[in-house]
Amino acid sequence: MAVLNRMDWYDLARTTNWTPSYVTEDELFPPKLSGDFGLPQNAWEKYDEPYKQTYPEYVKVQRDKDAGAYSVKAALERSRIFENADPGWKSVMKAHYGAIARGEYAAASAEARMMRFSKAPGMRNMSTLGCLDEIRHGQMQLYFPHEHVAKDRQMDWAFKAYDTNEWAMIAARHFFDDIMMTRDAISVSIMLTFSFETGFTNMQFLGLAADAAEAGDHTFANLISSIQTDESRHAQIGGPALKVLIENGQKAEAQKRVDIAVWGAWKLFSVLTGPIMDYYTPLEHRKQSFKEFMEEWIVAQFERALTDMGLDLPWYWDIFLKDIAQTHHGMHLGSYFWRPTLWWNPAAGVTPDERAWLEAKYPGWNDTWGQCWDVFIDNVVDGNMAMTYPETLPYVCNMCQLPILGTPGKGWNVKDYPLEYNGRLYHFGSEVDRWVFEQEPERYAGHLSIVDRFLAGMIQPMDLGGALQYMNIAPGEIGDDAHNYAWAEVYRALRAAKKAG
Amino acid sequence: MALFPLTSNFEGDFVLQLVAVDTENTMDEVAAAAAVHSVGRRVRARPDCIMRIRRQGATDFLPRAMKVHESGLKPTETIEIIWEPVRH
Repeated sequence: MAVLNRMDWYDLARTTNWTPSYVTEDELFPPKLSGDFGLPQNAWEKYDEPYKQTYPEYVKVQRDKDAGAYSVKAALERSRIFENADPGWKSVMKAHYGAIARGEYAAASAEARMMRFSKAPGMRNMSTLGCLDEIRHGQMQLYFPHEHVAKDRQMDWAFKAYDTNEWAMIAARHFFDDIMMTRDAISVSIMLTFSFETGFTNMQFLGLAADAAEAGDHTFANLISSIQTDESRHAQIGGPALKVLIENGQKAEAQKRVDIAVWGAWKLFSVLTGPIMDYYTPLEHRKQSFKEFMEEWIVAQFERALTDMGLDLPWYWDIFLKDIAQTHHGMHLGSYFWRPTLWWNPAAGVTPDERAWLEAKYPGWNDTWGQCWDVFIDNVVDGNMAMTYPETLPYVCNMCQLPILGTPGKGWNVKDYPLEYNGRLYHFGSEVDRWVFEQEPERYAGHLSIVDRFLAGMIQPMDLGGALQYMNIAPGEIGDDAHNYAWAEVYRALRAAKKAG
Repeated sequence: MALFPLTSNFEGDFVLQLVAVDTENTMDEVAAAAAVHSVGRRVRARPDCIMRIRRQGATDFLPRAMKVHESGLKPTETIEIIWEPVRH
């Protein structure tokens, strides 16, 4: 039997809107869930997805993708790559799996909201496939780390991170709850797919795939490349929705959602991806600095995507361009200094050679971040380890939930962005974080940051032990230097040579 | 006498930190409490300086002997701890 070409029937087959007669349109598509922006069904029927795929095609392609990734894993299971990997690389895997794997299942729920409640038939079709993608990503990124759990307790965080009160996970949940779990279908398409996935998952997945291949971890490289091919398809769900909104006079609302989500995504990636690229990845495997990667893959791409769409650059673009050379250095120093509160072992990445690379990529690094590290290194060399650990909490932002930080040393510019709302004093890490809060204060006002919880007496006893218990970090999982401070030997030798000379 | 949380923004350091002080503490004592979490950890001691306290954004320091409960500071308000050269 002759089979019609896909494009001869696709548009007709997915034209699945009808005029309800037993219920009202609002009952069929409750505005709070569908996010119709006051537009009738026929306005949403103009939604035209750029990537058209049918269900049979999808199943065939996905089956091949799965077969590829799983067969590489099976072939390399006895290769002892994990046992022999650089500890910095293991930390990359642990951070990635914990922060991402269970979030993929949550994303499946967000896709399902678009699948059921969007008034755009094309979006419903694309997000049906998107939902299946996210289930696949959740399954793979839980299955793949499982073989390592018996070897390393921290790998268990691939499974448990999202159920804990670990500070970075509070930050991740706060962001994802905001952009994908508590928004209507159209806002999810803008904030999750267009804003977060188009730019930032490209970086996490493409950048890490390259790093994984360099580190010789072909199982991980194949896994995340496989995932990225799905992302690049379902990330396109948001674009046509933005077009519909702009054509119907809703540009300001669309722009606001983009601006909120891009900023939150940036902050999360500054703590997750920045340290990995500029500090954990062994020097010889680094291709680009985090800033260079951001400029090529995020800045250039977003500027083009936003302009093509008829949107403006976010109002804070100049702040963002400045921050991509700074913020992640603070996120690294902070997460490293508070390392017992991590589920991975951070690599310091501050040998003289690594510092020379940092200075070349970020002129002035030695006079700023380097000044803090100088004190830290002296303490390690002197064996004064107590002073290399914290005795209090960093103050965290009431929006991104990450430490409030700035540039130290000679470029000292650290600043709080406070706001009093309903008698409570909130603290923010930037003008943009505070602006996000001000867009919809009631949405965020009730949330307690880890510091708020501490001050409310929810963390007992009020010391590191109590904090670790609250964050569900068990003995054997507590983070420490990835290389057991072996990197400090070179400084010890330098000091001895200086003394002798 | 009551515990009082403040947010420390220590000159030369990179991050804001929670500091617990007492309402009876003087500004010099507040500075010393904040220094515990920065000096010798990520900021070098400066023997030629004393540490002064000011509200974020202010140019004037609060008097060294002023007590927390006299200062008008709110719980968790951010204070800047600034190195001031000792006059000889």
